[in-house]
Amino acid sequence: MQEVILQTKKISKRYGKFSALEQADMTVYQGDIYGLIGRNGAGKTTAMKMIAGLTEPTDGEYTIFGKKGTSARSEKRRIGCLIENPAFFGGLTAYQNLKYYCYQKGITDLKQIDHVLTLVNLSDVKNKKFRKFSLGMKQRLGIAFALLDNPDLVILDEPINGLDPIGISELRETFHKLNRENNITFMISSHILSELYAVANRFLFMDKGKVLQEVTKQELDLACSRCLVVRTDDTKKTAMLIESELGIEDYKVIHQDEVRIYDESAKSDVINKMLIQNDVGISGIYESGVSLEDYFKQLIGEEK
Amino acid sequence: MINMMRADLYRMSKSKGMLFFWLFTAFMYFISIAYQQWGGISLGATPEFPESTKTDIGQIAMNFTFYFLLIIPVFCVITSEFSEHTWKNTISSSVSKRLYFTSKFLFSLVYATISFALANFIYYIANRLVNGSTYSSSPADFTKAFFIQFPIFIAIVSAFTMLAFLLRKGALYNAVTISMPIVCSMMVQVFMSINSEKEFFQKIRDFGEKSLSYGVEMMSAKIVLDPSDSYRNNCYIICIVVTVFSFAIGYFSFLKRELD
Repeated sequence: MQEVILQTKKISKRYGKFSALEQADMTVYQGDIYGLIGRNGAGKTTAMKMIAGLTEPTDGEYTIFGKKGTSARSEKRRIGCLIENPAFFGGLTAYQNLKYYCYQKGITDLKQIDHVLTLVNLSDVKNKKFRKFSLGMKQRLGIAFALLDNPDLVILDEPINGLDPIGISELRETFHKLNRENNITFMISSHILSELYAVANRFLFMDKGKVLQEVTKQELDLACSRCLVVRTDDTKKTAMLIESELGIEDYKVIHQDEVRIYDESAKSDVINKMLIQNDVGISGIYESGVSLEDYFKQLIGEEK
Repeated sequence: MINMMRADLYRMSKSKGMLFFWLFTAFMYFISIAYQQWGGISLGATPEFPESTKTDIGQIAMNFTFYFLLIIPVFCVITSEFSEHTWKNTISSSVSKRLYFTSKFLFSLVYATISFALANFIYYIANRLVNGSTYSSSPADFTKAFFIQFPIFIAIVSAFTMLAFLLRKGALYNAVTISMPIVCSMMVQVFMSINSEKEFFQKIRDFGEKSLSYGVEMMSAKIVLDPSDSYRNNCYIICIVVTVFSFAIGYFSFLKRELD
């Protein structure tokens, strides 16, 4: 069984009358690359800020590495963060900025600076001042900072903002490599669904401060993949018939009136005829298959 | 906390902000030593200097200049963290807001007052070497004068640190700290110019006179030149109150406020 390293229970954050996060539940397991998906103002950054200790929840609680409350604070050492825009001292170089944080975190082995700079491809510009960095370079330095203390959990808020396509691809590989080889757990938020899909294995959909859905990549694939949707008044009989009469096993009962068939050989006219012959009421049968964007739009209710 | 202070010391060693502090200090002291006169900035609220005052003691009495110079180290240590938003890197690590405030407060206090002390003693040695004992007092007298005045500058740096945490923005912090003595001086002059027989206005004028006696410029000079025991004690009480309240107000406001 996978170890739960982060769990929130009904955490909420209110600023006066405005509710930035409402009763959010999420569970992150060891080894996950956990993607937070949502529009601006969805509550992704607020959730990350609370976990990072930058703000306190109004209600609810969270556990980090099995500890909660004040004892969770001691576990913060095991977390590396990049929340919102990367922030460093403009007058210091990339190396000097990281050296400052090495001193602050009590990291004695300064070779770690070169190691993380190499990971994010900033070795060549390590002596360049931060204020002269491009947005993408700043972003990569922020990621290097998050990785500086060999954390077990890395929280990255919009880490691919400002990166060029090659940079995004390289970073994706870095995340996968660190996740695979060092067993680092990642929590990443992004607006760019396709990029998050390419890197994460579990997803949390959020909107207007509420958690809409927490799904694995397999579940998301299943929900988005091409299928035949059968709307019927008897899903139990429908499932039995398509299995016994047509030999189709790759299907799923979604609601009490909906069955989805994922078998590519399934033909709508054949299924329609077979169900009518067996006195099953059908209100609709059609092909479906949605993109990640459409799936998200459906979730937030923008597109029915 | 030691790690945080070590990191800040490293950052200060790379900062150019303190260069201005040392350049201006060196320039001011160069003039004083070259012309065998005490120098510095005054808003006109200094007591009369006795004839026998030696240059170095006079220079200490004119240390009000450091009110303006000590704005710099606090600016470098604290407001730059807020203007660059680097505070969030520290708070999101294993550092609590309590530890963050305490460490920054102590570091700016120690760093600024050590810079202040260093500047004064370097001046003393340079003046003694160049001008000899005619224009400089004995090491014991100079050290005594310095430490009599020292609590005033601890209180000033504490107040600056509190303001840096409250105001956060560098420009605002600079505007408030630089203009504060000028505004206070103007208000005191307005109070003191009141010429009325009515009791209420006389009380205001008395308040103005007392404020003048316990203003930073007057205190830093008078406490060195000719302090009575009661005046010195009053000065120290004011310094303790300012230091303690600055820490408390800064601490609780920083803990309570939502950082963005």
